[in-house]
Amino acid sequence: MHYTYLMLSFNKDHPLDQLSSELRLDLLEIIYQSGGGHIGGSLSSIDLMTSVYFSQIFDLKKDHFILSAGHLCTALYVVLAKAGYFSPKLLPSYSSFGSLLQGHVSAQVPGVEYSSGSLGQGLSFACGLALGDRDNKTICLTSDGEHQEGQIWEAVMFAKKYQLGNLINIVDFNGYQIDGAVKDIMPLNDLAAKYISFGWSVTTVDGHDFNQIFKALKKESVLYPHCIIAKTTLGKGISYMENNYNYHDVKNLSPDLYNQALVQLRSKL
Amino acid sequence: MTISIRQAFGETLYNLAKTNRNIYVVDMDLKSSLCLNKFAQKYPRRFIECGVAENNAAAIAAGLAKTGKTVFLTSFACFSPAINWNTIKQSIAYNQANVKIIGSHAGLLSTDLGATHQMLEDVALMSAMPNMEVFSPIDSIETEKLITTISHSKTPAYVRLVRATTPQVFDKKLTFTIGKSHILKKGEDITIVGHGPILNQAFDSSLPKKVSLEIINCSSIKPLDVATIVKSVKKTKHLICLEDHQKNGGLGQMIASILLEKNIHPKFVHLAVDNRFGQSGRDSKKLYDYYKIGVNNLIDAINKIL
Repeated sequence: MHYTYLMLSFNKDHPLDQLSSELRLDLLEIIYQSGGGHIGGSLSSIDLMTSVYFSQIFDLKKDHFILSAGHLCTALYVVLAKAGYFSPKLLPSYSSFGSLLQGHVSAQVPGVEYSSGSLGQGLSFACGLALGDRDNKTICLTSDGEHQEGQIWEAVMFAKKYQLGNLINIVDFNGYQIDGAVKDIMPLNDLAAKYISFGWSVTTVDGHDFNQIFKALKKESVLYPHCIIAKTTLGKGISYMENNYNYHDVKNLSPDLYNQALVQLRSKL
Repeated sequence: MTISIRQAFGETLYNLAKTNRNIYVVDMDLKSSLCLNKFAQKYPRRFIECGVAENNAAAIAAGLAKTGKTVFLTSFACFSPAINWNTIKQSIAYNQANVKIIGSHAGLLSTDLGATHQMLEDVALMSAMPNMEVFSPIDSIETEKLITTISHSKTPAYVRLVRATTPQVFDKKLTFTIGKSHILKKGEDITIVGHGPILNQAFDSSLPKKVSLEIINCSSIKPLDVATIVKSVKKTKHLICLEDHQKNGGLGQMIASILLEKNIHPKFVHLAVDNRFGQSGRDSKKLYDYYKIGVNNLIDAINKIL
């Protein structure tokens, strides 16, 4: 089930860099072929999900991964397909009528434990899992904009009270949301300081550097829930999408823009 | 000894938890009001206190349920499912988590605390949700049987409870079945359908003696016992629905819609709160009269409908 990519690639800074580029191509394909999807955040978060599924730090037969930001499902779907949870042939059906691959992440999909889409709930659900299954890890992925939801902070308090040392919340901190920059829409200010003041341990990493991400994911704690603030780039890998909030989601990408993206992503293979 | 519906809930859960170690409570700072102090003391590991954070609590309950627990999510109906409806929709119902949502202190009957605490919209909110069963027991014995029954089921459910000590309707021999109503009294002239303790008004001694009433306790609102209601209405051709809830989205509208689709047209009166907020009042009879769902209104309806 779990793809062993680590042996296959030697010519990059990290063995997963090659896989990361392949997954970005898969992501571009399903969004282009299906007519649209949340590409900006999927490109910013995909290295984080790749780390969870391909680092071999976790045993996902027992450990749990919860995607709280359900619109990032395209990234998760391509990662799960690559990891062998279902056939990659399903990918082009994304968001079409009758497809398993719903427009927001769905637990019908093999390998997915939690259906989400409405922001702010997944971290609470992850806390419930971590409380009920203390012998295993629960990893949650939230977005930065999602931290505007008050429920996130309810869950953050809860995780500390119940000393969920087996809980990791990875924040895909790309700095943008649908209508603009997070700092303009509703600033989070010092997110790390907030988590620390709520009693969590916090690690800030470059969310596209697998060495840093792996190191953070390996951190063990008994009493403290762990927040990994991953500084990422919206639209990472496709130059015209990078840090451009108009690519939070995309509808009917033109053949010209598709080809530009294809050339850029292929050059990194 | 007569005990209140909420006391019956707390006792029943405490007793079930003795043998079923998977029963958990996720509470929102209302354990005393829901009579769960004993449970919390005896089973502290299975009593999860979330504080006043209803959205978090609902998704915590869902996550816990996915680890194999049967979770009772306990609060007042005016907070849960009112504040956390969308969390219940996504995290519990859509994800099919084995969570039983207990909304206590529902209706005008339950409280003198005023409109913010008198939940009159919960049946509408929860009945509209796929994957969700909805129940409203009439007395402590039915509460005990209902809670025991749903503790064996994996389906998400909402249970509406009230605060007041209310008359006993059933004895210990009652069997509760999901999707079945009970005909409390057989009759020929008018079918009276209701849920919760307000239905006791149909037994009031001041009601016209000459009229033969068929009284149906509809504690299983979803799934609804359509067959029993249809059979009764076809016989009596007169229907009064009585509930301590808003008209809009209440049981009466559900039944009216079902009957119309089946081309059944009884004379119909829906006695429910008509698009208004509640208010404080220590005497529930006064409140019921003011909101036109009291015994006098029932008498008027009976006289008008025949």
